[in-house]
Amino acid sequence: MILTESDLQAIWLTVRLATVVTVILLLVGTPVAWWLARSRSRLKGMIGAVVALPLVLPPSVLGFYLLLAMGPNGPVGHLTRALGLGNLPFTFWGLALASVFYSLPFMVQPLQNVFESIGDRPLEVAATLGASRLDAFFSVVLPLSRRGFMTASILTFAHTVGEFGVVLMIGGNIPGVTRVASVQIYDHVEALEYASAHRMAAIMLLFSFLTLLALYAWRADNGKRS
Amino acid sequence: MHLTLNVQKNFPGFHLAADVSLSGDRVGVFGPSGSGKSTLVGMLAGFLKPDAGEILLNGDTLFSTSRKINVRPDQRRIAMVFQQHSLFPHMNVRNNLLYGYRRCQVDQRSIHLDTLVAVLQLDDLLERDITTLSGGQQQRVSLGRAILANPRLLLMDEPLSALDDTLRFQIIPYLKSVSSEFGIPYLFISHSLVEMRLMTDTVLAFDKGAMVGQTTSEQLARDRMGSSQVGYINLLNLGRASDNGSLYAYPWGAARLLLSAASDRDHSMAELSSKDIILFKQHPEAISARNLLQCTVRSLFNTGRRIGVELDCAGNTLISEVVQDAVNELGIIPGSTVFAAVKASAFRILPG
Repeated sequence: MILTESDLQAIWLTVRLATVVTVILLLVGTPVAWWLARSRSRLKGMIGAVVALPLVLPPSVLGFYLLLAMGPNGPVGHLTRALGLGNLPFTFWGLALASVFYSLPFMVQPLQNVFESIGDRPLEVAATLGASRLDAFFSVVLPLSRRGFMTASILTFAHTVGEFGVVLMIGGNIPGVTRVASVQIYDHVEALEYASAHRMAAIMLLFSFLTLLALYAWRADNGKRS
Repeated sequence: MHLTLNVQKNFPGFHLAADVSLSGDRVGVFGPSGSGKSTLVGMLAGFLKPDAGEILLNGDTLFSTSRKINVRPDQRRIAMVFQQHSLFPHMNVRNNLLYGYRRCQVDQRSIHLDTLVAVLQLDDLLERDITTLSGGQQQRVSLGRAILANPRLLLMDEPLSALDDTLRFQIIPYLKSVSSEFGIPYLFISHSLVEMRLMTDTVLAFDKGAMVGQTTSEQLARDRMGSSQVGYINLLNLGRASDNGSLYAYPWGAARLLLSAASDRDHSMAELSSKDIILFKQHPEAISARNLLQCTVRSLFNTGRRIGVELDCAGNTLISEVVQDAVNELGIIPGSTVFAAVKASAFRILPG
């Protein structure tokens, strides 16, 4: 067999993590992006900067602070223990939480852009036709933002698949729990198993390329139709 | 409809103040760009919050600073037709039309899709994608969507300004149907005096953020005659044209007019500027103008440096404008007889 059982386990864990993170970010990132697109609050600049931080921050820095926050003496750690969830570091859900922070701008920024491009008018029209703000969001904004949601979801999924630094800081390297594909490649290289590393790396490369290819093809097709 | 509006709104470099109480179903808001028309509409619809004042529609308070009331736009039952059609691109014509209808309480639905489709002639368009519609069709769908929301007031914010001249006059009968066929009162916003006269009875005139008058659309047109480059535009209802050699003859009430423009419709409307009518004290011996009408002076009115002369020409009304010297020389007084000469090419048949 080309891939070992450990490789397949790492790939499956990576897909599961990326899916969970994408779903969580769709739920969390959408209201954040909406607020950033519509708000005139003075806090908007600051919140926007915080959301964009993972784009410029070294993953090890983000991972370090998340590790401290989730650790036994950190605020998140206190909270999770109080809720009976135990400690999050070196668990799948700890990894997922860290990845949510790390991939936040990849979900929020495309959504913010598409929400801003829609403007006020469709919402005003919907309001004069009796639609509440929530109703207008679901009946008008969401369908008009389809393209932004697709872009944001694909970028978030692909970015989570490619994570390494934050994963290593928060999740470590526990087979079946936190050892994702990027860490598996690192392990193969450390063990001088270059052929195995090659196979996993090639799969990652192909996946990333195909994802971006699909995204660009879809965007081009959508652009023609609109 | 009874509307009470006493509001103030400040923007950097602009202040709007309006204090009006009016009744009527065909109300116009007239003014040049930047006069505050759109701000007023935004406050009525609920998009803009006045700094102070109150808005009451049919006795219901929509906004009041003293009573801390600000009814949300979706609960005001004030629909709107915008300058751009603003249809939802992800819905076909039927779903656009039904958007407001589906959100309207069942007991408030007095206008239904079938009736609307028949009046606005939308039968063939229902399943069409809105991107395949012409500008005029899109504006009709936009109007239909607003009507089907069964509002208690419809705001029309310059709905004709994005259309070319031909489409504009084709759409006007549909816009008028809002009141005549569906019984919905409307507020029509425009900077066109002709549109005001075709669409409204009462007009609120705005200038630089202040309400400068409340009058009839006819009176507004007469008041503005002196300051308007095109003068007062007479709107003439003509009958079916017949070929008269080089010109076309149109019945105009009991009179007959010769026009250079042809029309194959049973009824046409023509524009004639007050500046294009020449008055004679006596029947001229010979004249190149092909229309010479014997008229009785009904009244005179002063608009700036011009005198408006209201004429009765075989039962039809015509407004001409002259200077004071001409009034004196011709001895124009109410009840006197004058001859009005108009070139055949001075008339403009309105498209439609």
